[in-house]
Amino acid sequence: MPRHLSLFALLLGLSALAGCTQVKAYERAKLAHPTMVTSSFSGPAEEHMYSVQEGAIGGGASAESGCGCN
Amino acid sequence: MQLTRAVLAGLFATAVLLEARAEAQEPDPKPAEAPAAPAAPAAPAAGEPAKEAEGEAGDGGAPAAAPPSSNLTARISAQMAAYQDSTATSVFTPNVGASIENPTSGWGVNGRYLVDIVSAASPDIVATASPRWQETRHAGNFGAKYKPGNFGVSAYGSASYTPDYLSLGAGGQLTEELDDKNLTLVQGYGYGHDTIGRTGTPFSVFSRDLDYHAITLGVSRVVNAGLVLGLFGDAVLESGDQSKPYRYIPIFAPADAAKAGRGASPDEVAALRINARPLEQLPLSRQRWAATGRMAWRLTSATLRLEERGYTDSWGMFASTTDARYMVDVGSRLILWPHVRLHVQDGVDFWKRAYTANGPGDLPAFRTGDRELGPLRNLGLGAGSRLALGKAGRAEDLVLTASVDGTWTSFLDALYVKDRFSVIGVVGLEVAF
Repeated sequence: MPRHLSLFALLLGLSALAGCTQVKAYERAKLAHPTMVTSSFSGPAEEHMYSVQEGAIGGGASAESGCGCN
Repeated sequence: MQLTRAVLAGLFATAVLLEARAEAQEPDPKPAEAPAAPAAPAAPAAGEPAKEAEGEAGDGGAPAAAPPSSNLTARISAQMAAYQDSTATSVFTPNVGASIENPTSGWGVNGRYLVDIVSAASPDIVATASPRWQETRHAGNFGAKYKPGNFGVSAYGSASYTPDYLSLGAGGQLTEELDDKNLTLVQGYGYGHDTIGRTGTPFSVFSRDLDYHAITLGVSRVVNAGLVLGLFGDAVLESGDQSKPYRYIPIFAPADAAKAGRGASPDEVAALRINARPLEQLPLSRQRWAATGRMAWRLTSATLRLEERGYTDSWGMFASTTDARYMVDVGSRLILWPHVRLHVQDGVDFWKRAYTANGPGDLPAFRTGDRELGPLRNLGLGAGSRLALGKAGRAEDLVLTASVDGTWTSFLDALYVKDRFSVIGVVGLEVAF
């Protein structure tokens, strides 16, 4: 099941890329909103919790290393 | 006691930040009500943090900071997080960060320091007749970036230390903006070296090394004036023995393994297992691959953020992680959101709830008691808020954030624990000068 879920979502995202339009600088007011970053919105503590609670890593913003759970 | 000290230190840090903020505002060399730019001349590229954009964001955008009177922008942030779960583990994590950047010339430096104060008495610890365990982890990272035009480069270093675990890392990233800043390419590489030891024993007497190389490739695309998509691929190549030197694995006679059912208690396991109780042993290398898609979609007065990560590795694990936030503007300064996160994973190839052997000389080559390597489901629900508290025209100069998330985990095939419920609360403050 995990692989099917991910594959579906990634294909959906790739298909959306096909409909791109070129956005000029003066049209970017919405893109300047603080919620519009494409990096992860979780802070270092949450990212660290996820890295411990989930057996998967990657795609996050956490720069800390070591789990401290030896 | 440690927890109390950390709380006091965190409150002191917050008080210092607020005091520094008040001092910075008093003489105020900057124009208090600087006229907002009609548009966003330094518009963010695909995926670029909006904090770097100058000018007033209209048409659904939140008020951004007015153009700075100096070429330097400094930010200080402090965050406090508290975690508690139903397996008697608690973590308190204060952290502070700072950054200075010059948006005109494109350079910037940043750093962060955090402390994890962990206290645990999980069923695994109880099963080995060990007392409650406490540990403090110190971690820090620093980074520098230079992006004078469409091409940027950044580098970072990181370190994490507990008495039985030292982790050092360094890496760099290249970014390139194309198509009039509508397309951003990202390439990154990082190297890490971990030294794994035992508390009370010097690393020179007992230690294991774990090395890893991390490679990231990504693309971020502005699809239209309110939609940004990102697709990122990560590969992490690990080599070394990352087995936990404290983790003992119960072994059962083949005829008794089925009796040690899901969630069997420490007493039941102790009654069923044979005398052999070896340490955990994991394979000596692991290659991980992850593909992550992100979407940020700005509506009239709300933003929908979706993230999906697909993951697999050479140990045979497949995982899917879905994360969603619907962030609603409540006035011009306050944003509120619900948060949902679903994580589903299979176990690794060598995962068994109950490992079997006919005797101490017949142990399975690979064995683990790490529930996060087994099949599990995580469902997280939470809420968050972001409040811009700066004065008029510079609202983003002082930002207070808060969030609470609860996660229910179902371990589908593990000893000791069937379910776990955890809560994490985070409060953060960021001040710009």
